[in-house]
Amino acid sequence: MATTTRPGGNILEDATWSGQRPVTSRSDIFPKLVSLQRSLNARGFAAFRVAGASLPHKRRLDPEFENWSSGLSSGREAFIGAYGDALLAHIETSTLPVLWSAEEKTSFLDASDFTPFAVQLQERLLPYSGIAFPVRLGAVGNGYVVFPTIGGADLPGELILAVHSRCYKVMTDILSLDERRAAPSETLSEREIACLQLAGDGRISEEIAERLGLSVHTVNAYLGSATIKLDSVNRIQAIAKAIRLGYIT
Amino acid sequence: MDAELTTEGTEGRSRAASLAESLHKGSSSKDVLIRKLATPALSGDMGQCLRVLCDYVGASHHLLARYDLVQEEGLDFVVAADWPFDLVRRLESELATSYSQSTELEKCLSVLQPKYAILPDDAHVPAGTSRQYCTVTLNVGRTRLALLLLFPQDYVLSPERLREVGLLAAYALSLSANKGHKSDRDFDLTDRELECLFWIAEGKTSDEIATILGISRNTINNYITSVMRKTATKTRSEAIAYAVRNNLV
Repeated sequence: MATTTRPGGNILEDATWSGQRPVTSRSDIFPKLVSLQRSLNARGFAAFRVAGASLPHKRRLDPEFENWSSGLSSGREAFIGAYGDALLAHIETSTLPVLWSAEEKTSFLDASDFTPFAVQLQERLLPYSGIAFPVRLGAVGNGYVVFPTIGGADLPGELILAVHSRCYKVMTDILSLDERRAAPSETLSEREIACLQLAGDGRISEEIAERLGLSVHTVNAYLGSATIKLDSVNRIQAIAKAIRLGYIT
Repeated sequence: MDAELTTEGTEGRSRAASLAESLHKGSSSKDVLIRKLATPALSGDMGQCLRVLCDYVGASHHLLARYDLVQEEGLDFVVAADWPFDLVRRLESELATSYSQSTELEKCLSVLQPKYAILPDDAHVPAGTSRQYCTVTLNVGRTRLALLLLFPQDYVLSPERLREVGLLAAYALSLSANKGHKSDRDFDLTDRELECLFWIAEGKTSDEIATILGISRNTINNYITSVMRKTATKTRSEAIAYAVRNNLV
């Protein structure tokens, strides 16, 4: 066991999280999901992201990665139709894994030694059972990693915990790839960022101009160019995007 | 069953034993952990939950903080703690600083990833405790929390276990939150107001929102004025920035 002595304590090598090859493209994500599918002995997987974060009736689950069709009689749309709303409501208040059982009584999914930390959906709506792991990261990147299963299974708690922890890793990877891809082609200048920050803090252009020692027209020009770079239609949308992308706080 | 739990408890409290266990057995101890966590989690006893988790990861003291409340006055941000009170007071400002200095994206990308830091030089730590402490952030619904742990000197930390502990703390909180122990800050905004905020953040003008929602633009402007009053913001830009920062849109 590799132990490095540091002042006050030793920290084990973090093999599962940072020790592996860093994720540089979306093709690195797929094998990770396949290996999670295998460890659960599942029949497929899908990683969904919660889109339209603000309003209950605008939220939906968008598939990011999936390996769903093989051997499953109904598509991913049927799954969203059956349990989408329940999952969207669940992730607003809870981090607990969600289980569902198939219509047929012989096919079920349980986690008897994980009670009460798994939520069982009562309705049996689909020809297959499965488990959904909620991943809640914050303002962005939230979603579920879902694994459909077939036959009867009682998942060990230890396995659920380990897979859920890795689902967090996968969704974090997807988010970091996304943000790299979505970064504006031209990065914002220091002046543009300063103007956006002050505008987000409730300052009007005149106040920003005074604070930064610029003319009002220059401030408006900076805010305008920042709006274009952030692919926004006005400064308010630019401010919202700048916060989500981490340019301003 | 009770007797069994008690012996396990004593065993777990012995640091040497739990260290040996973490290095050699590892797996079966997780089922024991999940069983021990279930009872206090169901009754909403976060203090007991965290003591169980501390035993598992080898920590001597815990502090579970509402990360999103840390910038406000008072000690409301503390959910549960057995840290010395002076240390909590001393670290409050550090927490607030680290919260305000990291961007929303950085916060999202660091969920469940253990971070290590050294306590300030003037902070007084209990005898035998390392000056290095560990922070794991987690989310339950829209609530962002940080679990801060102190460890005995020369203790070997396992990042894998720290992540599991973060996840299990989120499970335990999910259970107690569902029972209504904690109320979230909803800022008392109505659905209509949130809907307006969402569209403004998307770059829509009052006229466009009026068309989308099928109500007059004056009504829209009234909603926005009301949002600015409730959130104590001076401009539309600031109101949107506020909403994005607080995960409302």
